[in-house]
Amino acid sequence: MLSKAIFKQTLKSNIKLWLIFTVIMTVLHVLLIVVFNPSTISDMSGLVKDTPLASLLGEATFLGMLSNTFYGIHGILLPIVFIIMTANSLIASQVDRGSMAYLLSTPTKRSTVVLTQATYLITSLLLMILIVTVAGFISIQTFQGDTQISLSNYFALNIGLFLLMFATSGISFFFSCVFNLTKNSLAWGAGLPMAFFLLKLMGDVDSSLEKLKYISMNSLFNTDAVLHGENYTIQYVALAVVGIILYMLSLRVFKQKDLPL
Amino acid sequence: MSYIEIKNLTKDYGHGKGVFNLDLTIEKGEVFGFVGTNGAGKTTTIRHMMGFLKPQSGSVTINGKNGWTDSAQLKRMIGYIPGEIAFPDAPTGTEFLRRQAELLGLTDMTYAEKVINQLQLDPTANLKRMSKGMKQKTAIVAAFMADPDILILDEPTTGLDPLMRAQFVDILNEQKNKGTTIFMSSHMFEEVEHTCDKVALIKGGKLIAVKRTSEVKHNENKEYKIEFLAREDYLRFLSEAFTILTRRDEQNQVIIGINDADINPLFRTLKGYPIKFIKEIKYTLEDYFKGIYEEDKAHA
Repeated sequence: MLSKAIFKQTLKSNIKLWLIFTVIMTVLHVLLIVVFNPSTISDMSGLVKDTPLASLLGEATFLGMLSNTFYGIHGILLPIVFIIMTANSLIASQVDRGSMAYLLSTPTKRSTVVLTQATYLITSLLLMILIVTVAGFISIQTFQGDTQISLSNYFALNIGLFLLMFATSGISFFFSCVFNLTKNSLAWGAGLPMAFFLLKLMGDVDSSLEKLKYISMNSLFNTDAVLHGENYTIQYVALAVVGIILYMLSLRVFKQKDLPL
Repeated sequence: MSYIEIKNLTKDYGHGKGVFNLDLTIEKGEVFGFVGTNGAGKTTTIRHMMGFLKPQSGSVTINGKNGWTDSAQLKRMIGYIPGEIAFPDAPTGTEFLRRQAELLGLTDMTYAEKVINQLQLDPTANLKRMSKGMKQKTAIVAAFMADPDILILDEPTTGLDPLMRAQFVDILNEQKNKGTTIFMSSHMFEEVEHTCDKVALIKGGKLIAVKRTSEVKHNENKEYKIEFLAREDYLRFLSEAFTILTRRDEQNQVIIGINDADINPLFRTLKGYPIKFIKEIKYTLEDYFKGIYEEDKAHA
């Protein structure tokens, strides 16, 4: 089912990118946690009061601030870029360049190739967000000892972030399996996640654009629902299901298609 | 049933591109040449044999197994050189070959070392900075190193200099003597004429003809060009009982067609003629296929 040899090769050629994104994301996360002490929060909300940015900043609690910065922008955008680059390099770029011929001229099944590459992508995202979470948890304990923070809400946010990224990686991976050319794989595999990200962002900033939110998959990761104790289970399950279906479709498509190798 | 059977294979890419109703059979231990111009459908055929493309209709069967559905299993016995070589990310040739060996489940690198030495390849070089010839050599090693039962080679000599080409032919012959079945494509007849047992010509995705090279090489009907010193000798010779194919009055030259069995009467007759020279006109595979192709066009 999985190939150790392929996984090792994939790891060798992709680990640098993963490391860079994981470090940047962790540092950013920790910085934001350190910065958002009660006095900066009240300063900032005073600063943007009565401007459209107020709705973007949202409520002035620690997790509220974190939701609208890290869990709304940086923490989403960085892994999306990582996903786009990695998903394309795992399948489509190797078919486009022709180097996939060297995997498939050995007794390796196409399904083994897809499953191994998918395993790498999912595992790398899981580890990335796990590392960010652990670093975040330690920083909260160290720097925000006095602030009232619901840790269960914090972990729920991180689980949601992972599920959103899992579904997003499904999109990019699917198009990487569909197309034989990098340019097409990127057009869809990068275009759709970026569009979802921007639609959600626009919907958050301006209430007149709120409807845009509903056509974005990213809205399934609803940080407000998490923070206000609303039910978010259905959305989380939906993200997981979207991801699983897309990965299953990727396998199907790649097994059946013509490869110009 | 033949070792490799391509039956009624069709893949239509539109605009006359692809392959159409292709039938080929290759016996075990045979060296099979597949000749055609660029875009004739050679690579498309090979990709079907490798299970990279799904036939629109028809099938490829190798050793009784289906080329599309049993593709991964078949790769245990196939070595492949792609038409366009693009290596995966690996720092050096050695590292690349090591990884390929791992995927092939190959632990014994003795044969790989031997091929490396024969090709005078330095595999420790940076894989990305290798010259075209070096890349081709690395690809050859990767295809041969598991000592497979079948070799499928898509224009394997691209980028090799004449000396290395000769080395490569030696390695091919070695494999042939071991009983390996070899299928190689080329756009040159000369290349396949000396190495292959059988040669097929493909044009516009259609099979034109298949010919045993031995039939061409050991053809007993030969053509000779004879030039006479004097005009009267030339004219006198024309009345002799030989099959004159061409006469060149200005040069006192004739081209005659003759079977090997009649060669002695010819020489006896020529004894009485002062001639300038006599020369055999070699009949090549290319001439054979050209003849067929032109016949084909005349019918069309």
